[in-house]
Amino acid sequence: MKYALYLGCAIPIKYPGFEAATRMVCKRLGIDLIDLPFGCCPPPTSMKLVHYDSWLALAARNLCLAEENGLDLLTLCSGCVNTLKEANQILKKNDSKRRKINKILEEHNHNFKGTIQVTHILDVLYQDSIVEKLLREKLIDIPIRVGCHYGCHYFRPPQVMYPEELSPAESYVPVKMDHLLSLIGMEPTEYSRKFLCCGSPLGANMDQDAGYAITRQKLIHIHERNIQAISVVCPSCFEQFDMGQIALSRKTKDLPKIPTFYLTQLIGLSLGMSAKEVGLDVHRVKSKKLLESINVGGQNNSKD
Amino acid sequence: MTTIKIWNFFPREALYECYQCARCTGSCPAMEVAPAYGPRETILKCLNLGHEAVVQDEKIWLCCTCNVCEDRCPQKIPISDLLVALRNSAARRGNIPGKLGMAIELLAKTGRSMIVHQLDEMRAHHGLGPLPPIPVDEIKQILKKTKLNDVIDF
Repeated sequence: MKYALYLGCAIPIKYPGFEAATRMVCKRLGIDLIDLPFGCCPPPTSMKLVHYDSWLALAARNLCLAEENGLDLLTLCSGCVNTLKEANQILKKNDSKRRKINKILEEHNHNFKGTIQVTHILDVLYQDSIVEKLLREKLIDIPIRVGCHYGCHYFRPPQVMYPEELSPAESYVPVKMDHLLSLIGMEPTEYSRKFLCCGSPLGANMDQDAGYAITRQKLIHIHERNIQAISVVCPSCFEQFDMGQIALSRKTKDLPKIPTFYLTQLIGLSLGMSAKEVGLDVHRVKSKKLLESINVGGQNNSKD
Repeated sequence: MTTIKIWNFFPREALYECYQCARCTGSCPAMEVAPAYGPRETILKCLNLGHEAVVQDEKIWLCCTCNVCEDRCPQKIPISDLLVALRNSAARRGNIPGKLGMAIELLAKTGRSMIVHQLDEMRAHHGLGPLPPIPVDEIKQILKKTKLNDVIDF
């Protein structure tokens, strides 16, 4: 199994720990990752709103790079997967947009043909063959209550993101992260507002405090269910919960802080990697006490 | 400078499908914490005042693009497309939040939407090599051709 690894901007630059964890987990599970000179996706929360044609053209360039190498594109971020899946769909279906974009890209020797698929690390890990491989590994149970946050752009609009998996009412409720984490002994816990926004785009584009106010609403419901850890598949959502709790705690101390993890960090821990190897040491909300209490993530687990 | 035709992005007739039930605004996360400018209100203003007036208002940028409004609309109005179109139009008239404008400029100049600072050390801390360079000139040339200059100088 081989993919072009689309890292995006936030992960390799702000949270390289996610990249390290993902590369190690994929290696263990036999997923080959190929690096290509991709640029910014660009985000559905910035370039798409400001200049649609530029958004589509840069997305097309990234898609072309993967096409030229005959590889499906694996993304690690809800924003990247949203842009690249939607652009891929538009350019495959809409002849006039494809011609227009190809005219722009031809000078740089790119030509969008529509030969590849775009996927997300969560969907790749959820495939039967990978789950079977995972279950053959010696997994360490992580018995804590976890609240999954998928990130809006990972699955909305469902007609674009999961057209093959829609319910009769044409909706899509994501479950893959909950299922995967239950395989490694975690206890996925439902909470109110699970599928609503983390507040990141509002904070990044306009008003940081208003963005964190949205985050706080989610955190209140997460606390209600005694959730001990938050799991995400997007670096922007991660920052909103991790940095957000620090910022919010400067104003009010009523909510104890809950550590946030990127999905592959948790899977890496279960595969015996140490907390430092998967990059947990640089998170703002520390997970050390929680992991020590269940004897997970220590150095001694690492190489057996 | 070129303007954009909003109705190329969003079917104008769809505005009339809205019966103002406010399910969209009721589920909008931004509306709960920021001064009101909900999806329902936006559609109503497009109908009553015209979109030319709507794109003047900086509050259209409060939307998080979470798509919940569209997901829950009983009339299946492509609200997200409308909100994308309105903001594209607003940006061309200079209505763009300062933070967002800076982010777009950074993207156009560097090909990435994050500032790279002491990156090699940070990546080495996680056992990763330096990030390979990206062809910034190619990206800039593409953005010149798509006329990003209509919105942001770079």
